[in-house]
Amino acid sequence: MLKIENLTVNFDANSALDNVSFSAEVGKITTVIGANGAGKSTLLRTISGLKAPKSGSITWRDSELVGMRPEAIVRAGVALVPEGHAVIPELTIDENIRMGALFRLRKAKSDVTTAIAEMYELFPQLADRRKAPSSTLSGGERQMLAIARALVSRPEILLLDEPSLGLAPLIVKQIIGIIEELCRKSGLTVLLVEQNANTALDVADHGVLLALGKVVADRPAKDLRADVSLREAYLGY
Amino acid sequence: MQTFLTALFTGTSHGAIYALVALGLVLVWRGAGLINFAQMGQAMFSAYIASTIINHHINYWWAFIVAIIAGGALGGAIDVLVIRPLKKKSGSSILSSPSMRDAIPVIASLGILGILQSAAGMIWAGEERGFPAPVSTLGLSIGKRAMPFTRFDIFVIVLIWLILIATTLLLNKTSVGLAMRASALNMEVARLSGIRTRSIRTLGWILSGSLASVAGLMVAPATNVSPNSLDLLMIIGFTACVIGGLNSLWGSVTGAFILGLTISFINIYDAPGDVFLGIFAILIAVMIFRPSGLFAKGKARNV
Ligand SMILES: Nc1ncnc2c1ncn2[C@@H]1O[C@H](COP(=O)(O)OP(=O)(O)O)[C@@H](O)[C@H]1O
Ligand SMILES: [Mg+2]
Repeated sequence: MLKIENLTVNFDANSALDNVSFSAEVGKITTVIGANGAGKSTLLRTISGLKAPKSGSITWRDSELVGMRPEAIVRAGVALVPEGHAVIPELTIDENIRMGALFRLRKAKSDVTTAIAEMYELFPQLADRRKAPSSTLSGGERQMLAIARALVSRPEILLLDEPSLGLAPLIVKQIIGIIEELCRKSGLTVLLVEQNANTALDVADHGVLLALGKVVADRPAKDLRADVSLREAYLGY
Repeated sequence: MQTFLTALFTGTSHGAIYALVALGLVLVWRGAGLINFAQMGQAMFSAYIASTIINHHINYWWAFIVAIIAGGALGGAIDVLVIRPLKKKSGSSILSSPSMRDAIPVIASLGILGILQSAAGMIWAGEERGFPAPVSTLGLSIGKRAMPFTRFDIFVIVLIWLILIATTLLLNKTSVGLAMRASALNMEVARLSGIRTRSIRTLGWILSGSLASVAGLMVAPATNVSPNSLDLLMIIGFTACVIGGLNSLWGSVTGAFILGLTISFINIYDAPGDVFLGIFAILIAVMIFRPSGLFAKGKARNV
């Protein structure tokens, strides 16, 4: 279980997260929804060690992540796909994927080869152009590459920051479909951050609604999806 | 014709040495975002060490290897002992402003240069020492014909091309190289991929220090070894980087060869006194027409 307890994160004097507590269950999809500026990205970046919290604790399978370096957190099985198709455009598609598995080369070389092959099966769009610079990819393909880069590390929990942002509905469907399948079939734990609440709540088991850095709802996704008044109050639709 | 070929070979061999200096500077720049002004101080220090070994009648090649290791160790030590702690300090507000945060490590590298030069002055009494070349630096003749190059020119060109090719292969074909490139291009994505960017950066410092030491040993037969003997090499190497573009590895190497040839031709056809004027003219022309370097593509550094 990913457990977040009393997490407070500040930028200078302003708090982006204020005493946030919730947990994400193993093998389930938990979604964090909220308007722009609610603190969703800050939450994921803090879990990944890119931002130090002012106070609070984040535990994954009972080990404390606060204070660990980002590279150590990935090695502990927690992978982040950051906001905005985070790939390195100067590197080739193949290099971007391999990058995510470099740290496993020494201990699990053959599994790295397997994992990379799996990524090309999962995202056939990437397979034809392995040697091309990833700057040649479309937005949707870049997002797939960013997800593939995170998945080759064989994470136990995948954190996704608005994977659907700016993508065509058909691509969003493919990406969300793949994430759902990974969770249902391979038991991957998913923490999905979305501004597009309906897309997220449709696939998620559990939903957390953030507003101005505070948790305002923490319920089964179905309940949250049905609560029209709550969504209207915080998301405006 | 003979004069022209002599200028060509000398320029190429000197250009190769400048290329090593430039490559070392680029590696640290891309990895850590600073111009390491201490680089040739490290090389000078290891040249003194090598010279001490040679003075004890130990084989040149042992001295060569020790100098490479010493240069690398010094580079690694500077990163771990000076640059890393500086990055952590972000207490007072003036010092933590973004421009100061970029400037402080550069100033520190100048300070380290001063320390290395004073230390060399104290340890080796600042004495200027001659330094041997592994092969003859005198004009080579085949049969009765005098060649326009020396054995040492050929040695330098071959050795350095091998090093340049090896470095390129390391960066482009190995896992460590991929980690180095990823860390330089986008540190955040690299860290999120599990790459230990801090250690990778230190590796860049080590590699850079070793390359600079080789460069130092290659000019030492001509310049001798003294605390300031490599200052000029640093200036030329840095100029090569500016000409070629600090972000472009082969751009800087090309810039180095352009400088090597320019200096050599001015020396032979014009007068040694005009060398600086020539370098300066090239530098100004590049700054005006291609401010991010002859071979830079796109915008400045991607942090
Ligand atoms: N690097 C930063 N510096 C200062 N303030 C920031 C920074 N990143 C985010 N914030 C602030 O933190 C709050 C939450 O932002 P963010 O986590 O990006 O929200 P979301 O991802 O939900 O849109 C916002 O008020 C934003 O202005
Ligand atoms: Mg966000």
